[in-house]
This record gives sequence, C-alpha cells and structure tokens, in this order.
Amino acid sequence: MPAGAIWVHGELAGDGSLANISTEAATLARALGDAAGVDVVGVVVGADPSAAAGELARYVPRVLAIAEPATADHAAGTIVGQRIAALVERDGPAVLLTGAGPEGRDVAGVVSALTGWGVLVNAVGVTWDDGPVVTMSVFGGKLTTTSRLTGDHGIVTVRPNVVTAEPAGSPGRVEDVEAAGALTLPQVPIVDRVEAAGVAAPIEEARVIVAGGRGVGGSDGFKVVEELAAELGGAVGATRAAVDSGWIPYAQQIGQTGKIVKPALYLALGISGAIQHKVGMQTAETIVAVNRDPDAPIADFADLVVIGDLFEVAPAITAALRSRKAG
Amino acid sequence: MRIVVLVKPVPDTASGGERLRPDDWRLDRAATTATVNANDEYALEAALKLTEAHGGEVILLTMAGTGATDTMRKALAMGAASGVLVTDDALGGSDIVSTTRVLAGALGAMEYDLAFAGADTSDGGGGVVPAGVAALLGLPYLSYAAKIEPDPAARTVRVNRINPAGYEVLEAPMPALVVATQALGEPRYPSLKGIMAARSKGLETKALADVAVVGGDAAVGGAASTTAVLSAEAPPPRGAPRVIREPADEAARQVVAFLAERRII
Amino acid sequence: MPYRLSEDQAALRDAVRILADEQIAPRAAEIDRTAEFPWDVKELLAGHDVLSLPYPEQYGGLGGDLLTVCLAVEQISRVCATSGLILAVQELASLPLLLAGSDDQKARWFPDLASGKLLIAFALTEAEAGSDVAAARTRARRDGATGDWIIDGSKRFISQGSVADLIVVFAATAETDETARHRRLSCFVVEKDMPGFGVERIEHKMGIRGSPTAELSFNGVRVPDANRIGEVGQGFEIAMRTLDRSRPGIAAQAVGIAQGALDVASAYARDRTQFGKPIAEFQMIGAMLADMDAQTEAARQLLYKACTEIDAGAPDTARWSAVCKLVAGDTAMRVTTDAVQVLGGYGYIDEFPVERMMRDAKITQLYEGTQQIQRLVIARALTARR
Repeated sequence: MPAGAIWVHGELAGDGSLANISTEAATLARALGDAAGVDVVGVVVGADPSAAAGELARYVPRVLAIAEPATADHAAGTIVGQRIAALVERDGPAVLLTGAGPEGRDVAGVVSALTGWGVLVNAVGVTWDDGPVVTMSVFGGKLTTTSRLTGDHGIVTVRPNVVTAEPAGSPGRVEDVEAAGALTLPQVPIVDRVEAAGVAAPIEEARVIVAGGRGVGGSDGFKVVEELAAELGGAVGATRAAVDSGWIPYAQQIGQTGKIVKPALYLALGISGAIQHKVGMQTAETIVAVNRDPDAPIADFADLVVIGDLFEVAPAITAALRSRKAG
Repeated sequence: MRIVVLVKPVPDTASGGERLRPDDWRLDRAATTATVNANDEYALEAALKLTEAHGGEVILLTMAGTGATDTMRKALAMGAASGVLVTDDALGGSDIVSTTRVLAGALGAMEYDLAFAGADTSDGGGGVVPAGVAALLGLPYLSYAAKIEPDPAARTVRVNRINPAGYEVLEAPMPALVVATQALGEPRYPSLKGIMAARSKGLETKALADVAVVGGDAAVGGAASTTAVLSAEAPPPRGAPRVIREPADEAARQVVAFLAERRII
Repeated sequence: MPYRLSEDQAALRDAVRILADEQIAPRAAEIDRTAEFPWDVKELLAGHDVLSLPYPEQYGGLGGDLLTVCLAVEQISRVCATSGLILAVQELASLPLLLAGSDDQKARWFPDLASGKLLIAFALTEAEAGSDVAAARTRARRDGATGDWIIDGSKRFISQGSVADLIVVFAATAETDETARHRRLSCFVVEKDMPGFGVERIEHKMGIRGSPTAELSFNGVRVPDANRIGEVGQGFEIAMRTLDRSRPGIAAQAVGIAQGALDVASAYARDRTQFGKPIAEFQMIGAMLADMDAQTEAARQLLYKACTEIDAGAPDTARWSAVCKLVAGDTAMRVTTDAVQVLGGYGYIDEFPVERMMRDAKITQLYEGTQQIQRLVIARALTARR
C-alpha cells in the first residue's frame, strides 16, 4: 500500500498571500500524515510564491515553492497544474489535496488529466485507512457517501470549513524549486483586472440566512440582524410580520407568501416559527433560534434554541465570531 | 459560429427520488426522472444567445446512458441544433478520469469554435472535468466566466473570469473551452414550438468504439474506475433541539462552538 | 382511446407546468388582490407559444387538439385560475372561427391570435339572455346599400371583454317575428376600435378577479359583411357547437383549481403539527384528503376521455362536454371547500391560497352554461336515445 506522502496545494489569494482554504487543507494534510505515518509536503506555484509558501510552512513541515513568472499575467490554473503534475509524477505522493473552489478545481482537473490520477471531489471529511477515505455530501445534502481511491495515487478536493486551520507546533521549511521543462498547454493572457463588488446573490442561494421577526420590533432593530448576517457572510431574511410592518422589503420575506429557502444555516431572531413562516425555511440544514419565549413553536423544530433577548444574544454572537476570526 | 455545449443528465432533485444502488453504489438513474444539469443550462443559454447574435449553431455533447436522449431533447427544445450522445454499457460507472478522456475524444472529433461546460454537476460532480478536457486537447481554458465575448472575425474570445476580488479579463484564440457560471444569465424556458421541433432534430449516438479516447492506453469505463464508493447513507433526522438558557455571552460562546462543530464557520 | 398521454402531450403538459410553477404562481395572489388583468402573464404565455395551441399550424399555431389545450389550461389553473382562463377564453372565442369561419377570415385573424398579439372574447350572454341564449336582443340590421351590418345592443358578463381586440358577437338578424327561435341569431366579429363599441363596466367578482368581466355596448357599430361568421341565421347553431367544444376548457380549469387546492392542503397537513404530530396522521384529515384526491382524479380522467372523444368526432359531443364540465365544476367546489377546512383558520385568511381557490372554483359551476344547463343537455341526450 502507498508509502507515498501527503501533498497539499497552497493556493495564492489575489494579493499573493495564502488562500484560507489552503490553511484548512494543510491542517487536514498534517492530520492525515500523522495518521498514515508519512511525510507531508506543501506546494506553491506563483510568480512570487515566497509569502504564501512561508505561510504554508506554518502548517506543514516542508513546502516546495516554485517561481513561475508566467502566472503573473496568464490564467494560473493550467500553468500551476502543469508544474504540480510534473512534480507529483516525479515524487509520487499518495494523495494531493487541493481546495474545492474554482482555483483548486482548475488545478485538480489539469493534474488529473496529465497524470491519469483519480479525483475524489468536494470532501467534507477525510480520514486515513491505508489511503484517504473521503466523505462527500451529495444531492443537496440528501445523501452522504464514503469513497476511496482504487489505486496508489490520487487527488482530493476539499470543501471550505471542513477543518479549522491550525498551525503546527513549529514552522516548517521552504525549499525553492526551479520550474523544470516547458509549459506545453496554451497559456491564456490576462488582459485586464477589475476589482468589483460582487452582485448580491438572491436570498434563495444564500448559504447562511439570518432572519428577523416580530421580536425585532422595528427597522432600527434590524441593524442587529444585519450585523450578524454580515459577520456570517449571509443574507438577511424576515417574516411577513416584519415586512408588513415596513421594517424590511418584501424581497427578503421568507414563508408561505414569500420565498422558500434551504440554506446551510437559518438563524432566526425573534421569530415564533408559526406554520406560514415554517414552510419557508424548515428544510434548512441547521436551524438556530433566539427567542424570549421557550414555548415558541420554533423551539420544536430548531436544532439549537437560545432562550434570551435577541438584542443581547445576537450582538454577543457577532462579537464572539469576530474575536474567533481575529484570534 | 459553432459552439459545442457539454451537457450532463442528472437526477431531477424536484422529484426527490435520487439514490444510489445498494449493490454497487452507482447512481440509480432509473429511480428518478433526469433533467439537464442546472449549470449546463447556463452554459447552453450563453451559447444560444451568442449564436443568435453572431449566427451559427449550438451542438450538444453528452456521455451518458441510452436514456439520456430524453434529457437531450429538453436541451434541444431550448434551441440547440443537434446533439452527440456517447453511450456504451462499458461506460457505466465511469469516474472523472474516464469521463474526461472520453469527452475529450468525442469533442476532438467535432468541429467547433468554442466549447462550453457548466461549472459543476448536481449529482456529485466536482467541476474538474472541463479543465481536464481542455488539457487533454491542448485547448485554451477559460474558466468561471461571468461574461463571454467572442470576436468571430478575429477568431478570438474574451472572458471575464470571476475571482474573489472581482474579475480578470482573459483572451484566447479559438477554438477554446470556456466554463460558464450562473452570472451569464438565467436559462430560457423552452417554448412549446421548441419542444415540438426538438423531436425532429438530429441526435447522433456513438459507442465507445467510435470514439478516439484521448490520454493514453489505459482502459476507461466503470471497470477501470480510479475511485470507489464504499457506502452511502442519509443524514440523521433532526433530533430534539438543544436548549441554551445561559446569559448572552455564554450563550454566544456555545452558539459559535455549535456552528464550528457543524462546519458552518 | 390510448390510456396514456402521447409523448408530445406529456412534454407540452410538463413544460406548461414548469412555467406555471416558476413564473405564474408567484403572481397569483397579487393578481387576485389587485384584480388587474395580468398582461405580463399573457406575454409569458404568448412568448412560450402556449396561446398558439388552439390554432392550425398553417396559421402559425401549434394545431393542438382539445386535449392538449385542456392540459395546458389545467396546469396553469393549478396555480392561478385567472391565468388559466386567458388560454381558455382564447380557445372559446376562436371556436366560431375554427368551426364556421371562412379561409379568408382564418388567414386574416389566426396568425395574430396564434402569436398572442391579439386577444379575442366571446360575447353571447346578455342581461336578459343567460341560460336562454336564443332570447338575445342585440340586433344586427343590414345596410342594404353597402351590405354592412349595424349592431345595436349590449352584452353582459363577457370574460376578458375589456381587454380583447376582437369580440365575437351573437346578434339577432331575423327578418320577421315568425323566424324560428334557433334561427334568429347570426355571428359577427367586432374589432375593438370600431366606432360605437364600448366597455360600460367591469364587474367586481367573488373569484377569477384578475379576469375582467365586462358589460359591452354596441351603438350603431358598423361591421362589414366580411366579418360575419357563417350563414345568416346560423348564429345559435355556431354558439351551441362552440360551447360543446369549449366546456372541457372550463372543466380543465376546474380540475386544475381542485388539484392546486389539494396540493396546498396535503403539504399543509404534513407540515402542521397539533397534539404532537402532523395533522395528516389524524384519520379525519387523512380521509378528507383521500376523498379530495379520488374526486379530482375522477374529474380529470372524465375530462381527458371527453376531450379524446370530441377530438375523434364523436356524435354525442354535447353529452361528453356537459358531463365533464358538470363533474369537474362540482368537484372543484367541493375540493376547494374541503381544502379550506383542512387548513382551518389558516384556510380562511389570505396567508394561504386556498380561500382564493375556493372563490375561484365557484365560477366553474356558473359560466359556459350553469350546472343546471349541463344537466338539461345530459338529460336530453339520454332521453333522445330512446
């Protein structure tokens, strides 16, 4: 069975630093390396990989940093994929972890095509049993599958928020590696870069929704809802009562006469959970409710209920999230 | 302009019957109706808009079981001109590596200016096949397009590729492979006339033997899969809720821990 | 009759259902509340060729048979009875032309009707001539010099009469009082811009509130003879033959309304918990839902069979259309009433759509011939056989 190492791809964020998802994947790689008793290696490819490589070295003992000037002004995925493909063919790790976001997918696709290595995608969990064992959530959460590679080498793309990033006890070392060989695949030039705020996704597509109901008491009260939503990177929703009272626009109404949503998290503030609202959000993966009334109907079908004043609890959650991010 | 759109039939989540076969954990495609993968519809819509503006036609390319013709008719009803279905018993249970090689082989035999693919599929796809197809065919690869602007006269295409900061503008010569995103615009509903017309549009079927598979001599298909599903289960039903009655700061701490435990943050 | 829909019929039905669920359903409550004709829905239906279903292919239509038109009306009516009526009225009012119009008339009007550019209404009923159609008093007098007809009178309860571009009007053209009752009327197409044509009022109604029900006045409206449909004196016959073929459209609306109400009630019964469990698990609720389902399915199958028989040219068309409309209308009223019952207090308020569906259902027992007229038709068909 593979004695190959665990490799992890370090993605570059726009400013040359290490992307968050790679800190998580690297933490996972380290855990797998401990379980398998094999080496863990990070690999960073970029025009100037030193900052990201240095950051990645906080998580894994050894990082290969490949300076590839072509990525400065060409679409990176294909180029990075070629460089990594050459290295993994040379060194034969058991598994290469990448992120499951756009950058990671592009790299995984190219590496797989060039090496013939299989890919396990969208991992929400990875353990080790003589090879990576990957858990995936499919069909919008209706099924969870467990899969493995059939061969000695493969690629796993890892979803965000699967592990909490945790630096290693002592930092690893960065090795500068010369980019070897010609790049044979077409390079696509970047002719312009634009910074633009993304268009807000419709509420039905939000992964997280923080919603306010009658308990919010007024449009001023919704500030508390908005701040918590912003901290969670989510959208703001509301019950019909709040909309009819004019505290928030109809576009954000959830329920029988509003929108039906299925987010990963529905956080209900001051919402009783009466049937006409319940039908709009009851299939959310996780439901958390904050309400003063322990007998509110929502307490019957939420996953977690906080009995308390939303004007105290919601800001406290917002603050706790902020300090967690900072620390 | 000729635009090939890679289209995959996937279980229709609205009908709710998706499940895996317990004997081999392959998708039980008979258990539920199939529909065009949602992200592929965005790619198809983008292709239709471009051929409407610049002239030309849209051709579908699918690798799937024989029942896929019904799903392809839905895509034809939207306005594609014709389609190619690669179907073979040996291909059942194909993994990403096989799918990439076979699609590359089929696409390689077609004439086109642009090839479009959706960002990923709703039946467990990871969005890695298009990059692989482009790599095997040596096509310029432009992914995560929010905007696609071909210049047929100059035989180039410009794409706005979405990134966390906004977008970068990529440019490549044709033929090129572009991955579409939902930012390109809502797919149209097929008109009733489109549905009727779809019945007489050409759908060509190819067996594995008819395709010059790209990427080496390794076998393709379910038997050669590089990955294997070990088990599948439904997530546990929602149990009784946990109730927190602590003061705000302590309650907040517990909520954050709960969210972290659930991988939401 | 083949006991399953053809592939085409199933494909068209599914396409209309998706359109209805995603684009029309979100508008239904607002259409009812504002009581405004939904032009956007009309454009949506036109843009997706749904309004072209009744017309022959040579005029740009889809040449749909009666069953296919009814499948579409049913799917739309599941979410919005007003919207379903748009297609049903196009079918109803076009039937005189389909059955008795000249090739010139069809070529003149069908292309724009098929494209949804023009709407058409059916003006038969009058204040003093409802069930008693032949008693119509609107008159059409011939101008001997030009051959034109001058129409004077008024029509009441005309669906979509205020938004239609073409109005099919039945007027008395009898020369003498000895003319037999059923030979008194003739049929004409009035174009809305013709001088003398006016909309006097729009009714405030219990249901289908977004569909304008108009009182139309005709004051010396000059109509060229080329706009006359069929022979002089053939109007009553055209009207009866039209209703024989159009009543299934109302049955389809009724079946759709019933199904929509059943869907809401079933979902509610699954989600609503009382006494510790979903109310669907209580026998009284379960039994109600079961009866609603069985009755709706029975009405649906009778409708489909009636359409199939009528499309095949069955000689007892009148009986088929009357039975399917009789059963479907009564079913819709019963099922929607029960749906409100299942939802209890929530069924009575506009938070849920069933109160609207119950108000909408009532009209299917009234227009295109009251249930009493349907029974008359059926009884006559039965006794005439002996």
